[in-house]
Amino acid sequence: MSEMKDMIAGVVERIFKEKVEKETVDLLETGKWGEEVWQLLVENEIEKVAIKEGHGGAGGDYEDLFHLYRLVGKYAVPIPFVEHTLANLVLEYVNSQPQSGLSTIHIATQPLELIKGKVTGQLQHVPWARYAEKIVTLATEQGKNSLIIIDLEEATIENSTNLAAEPRDHLRFTDANILLNHLLTEQQHEFLTQLQTAATVSKMVGAIDRAFELTLQFSKEREQFGRPIHRFQLVQQHLAILAGEQALSSSALDNIIALLVEGQVKDEIAFARLKLDDASRIVATSAHQVHAAIGVTHEHRLHHYTRRLWAWRDEDFHGNYWRKQLADKLLHSTNTIWEDLTKS
Amino acid sequence: MNLPSVQFTKEQEEFRVEVRTFLQRELQKGTFQTKCDSWLSGSDPAFSKLIAEQGWIGLTWPKEYGGAERSSIDRYILTEEFLAIGAPVAAHWFADRQTGPLLLRFGTEFQKKLFLPKIVKGECFFAIGLSEPNSGSDLASVRTKAEKVEGGWIVNGAKTWTSNAQDAHFMITLVRTEPVSEKKHHGLSQLIVDLKSEGVTIAPIRYLTGEHHFNDVFFDNVFVADDMVVGAIGNGWAQGLAELAFERSGPERILSTFPLLNETIEELKRRQDINGLAHAAKLVAELWSLRNLSIGVAKVLEEGGEVGVPAALVKSVGTKFEQKIPEVVRMLLDVYPHLQAERDLDRFLAESTLHAPGFTIRGGTSEVLYGIIAKGVLAR
Repeated sequence: MSEMKDMIAGVVERIFKEKVEKETVDLLETGKWGEEVWQLLVENEIEKVAIKEGHGGAGGDYEDLFHLYRLVGKYAVPIPFVEHTLANLVLEYVNSQPQSGLSTIHIATQPLELIKGKVTGQLQHVPWARYAEKIVTLATEQGKNSLIIIDLEEATIENSTNLAAEPRDHLRFTDANILLNHLLTEQQHEFLTQLQTAATVSKMVGAIDRAFELTLQFSKEREQFGRPIHRFQLVQQHLAILAGEQALSSSALDNIIALLVEGQVKDEIAFARLKLDDASRIVATSAHQVHAAIGVTHEHRLHHYTRRLWAWRDEDFHGNYWRKQLADKLLHSTNTIWEDLTKS
Repeated sequence: MNLPSVQFTKEQEEFRVEVRTFLQRELQKGTFQTKCDSWLSGSDPAFSKLIAEQGWIGLTWPKEYGGAERSSIDRYILTEEFLAIGAPVAAHWFADRQTGPLLLRFGTEFQKKLFLPKIVKGECFFAIGLSEPNSGSDLASVRTKAEKVEGGWIVNGAKTWTSNAQDAHFMITLVRTEPVSEKKHHGLSQLIVDLKSEGVTIAPIRYLTGEHHFNDVFFDNVFVADDMVVGAIGNGWAQGLAELAFERSGPERILSTFPLLNETIEELKRRQDINGLAHAAKLVAELWSLRNLSIGVAKVLEEGGEVGVPAALVKSVGTKFEQKIPEVVRMLLDVYPHLQAERDLDRFLAESTLHAPGFTIRGGTSEVLYGIIAKGVLAR
């Protein structure tokens, strides 16, 4: 990241640190969201970070944006920042205008059916739909995938949530009008799945950063048997395991971002997503074990991160999706895995 | 913890292909047979000589000592290719990985000129004498002692678990040159012991498979000349620590059972077992993520950075992964592990299973590493 970009990340982290209290995250449980934080980001034009300058954005790249996603995960920020910015990033990718109102994106499940320019069907577990004006999603017509935009005025919305109480709503469309119909090549479609996955990986790495940090802190503060619990070797083993998973997750993310920036991504997104599946499980287990009873209360904020990890690992293009993709690729590959891993 | 993410250059990728092509040709000629854990248990001096002829020992060392002055990323690539194909590189392993860098950093000009060119030619192998019968994880408690005499030192004591001492010519030996004091880490020194010296006895300790790669090495009034002291007398602990980062973060902490994983995936492909491949894909993803971290450490090492904690981390997670492979494989395929099996899969599984317990012990037990990592992250 350049200095300029470092500055943006710094500003955003400061906003999150100051404005996203435990109570802010808990707002979700009462059907509210972090509107104030969202407004602050909009005032600072942070939501335009990866939008091209020609479209009135800040002209950042994947690295900047995914770093911000990591911060969203690290502070469990209860706003649709990832969804809105990703929707616009995807629109720019297909040379379409980004949307100014709040948007969301949902490209992971069975696409809607497009007939004579109108869509009918349902979308399940759509992030933040109830607050969004528009949705960027996929529709299929005669076996071909299109990227479409629909005004959510046209949807019947049933509110629902994921394990972490984040909005994941069910939408129903009947002969809804579409505002964009962009036919996707197979390559473009694959790239969208990669972008969505990289975004989720970024959030997960952020949540792991924080769960690890909280656990380290707790192990220093909590005393039992007359000393801080980090002095016990069995607790140290948990800390070491957490450090390992954090380092592996972080380097997986850095690696896929570097490859995305260079346009060199192959199977790495799948690898990273699968690694984060494992890391989420291991981190949640050890973080809770070290925190013991207090960590399983609603009072303590550890659950903001562990619940998100448990929720996110099964959302959009999840580990199971990528496992099958990789298996299919392996089956038809004449290369050995070593040739694939080393790209030589 | 953040480590750099490394993308290989075109030249580096070409080097990888060059190494791979050579090794595949030798494999086909029957020069060696692919084995799991070959970097430690596959000692073959003739093969090491062949590697030396390619200029691949001491790859990163200065040209004046016979090295090729290439980057440590090049060396990383070379090492990976040895491991991926399971080549028998154990004979020259320690000299290349540890002794060379140690002498380059702390050795005298005389020592560098004497040893490095011979190591590079594949004519001089080193063993590493650290553990003792009563000093394992608590390494600073070593008791083998060296007493000052005219022109040198007299060594008495014993080292144990010394890998491949039977093929080595010399041993970098950690000895106590001052009596034990309050500070256990003080008064330790590193001596180069000629294993042909009078008073040195090497006795095999057979591994649980019956194979010979561990040894007891006994010293009975062994004379070591002053010019065979490495670095400063009393500085042995600090010098030894510097070696550890090289020892712990390399690809050999990830790839010891790779030939088994590779063969498993090939077998699943032959059987068109899509479910099995989906399971195996998880292992490939894990390997990818470990490899990123390990290469990241190599990069920091090359730039002279401090990597004690991340190196411990790579080893503790990587060796667990190595151990996991045989356990996953036997869930995916019908197997019958046997060291003499005709089918590679069964032989690799036997080698991996039988060697697995050592992975998380050698080079620092996982328990010791966890302590190092935890203290490292708590201190930040």
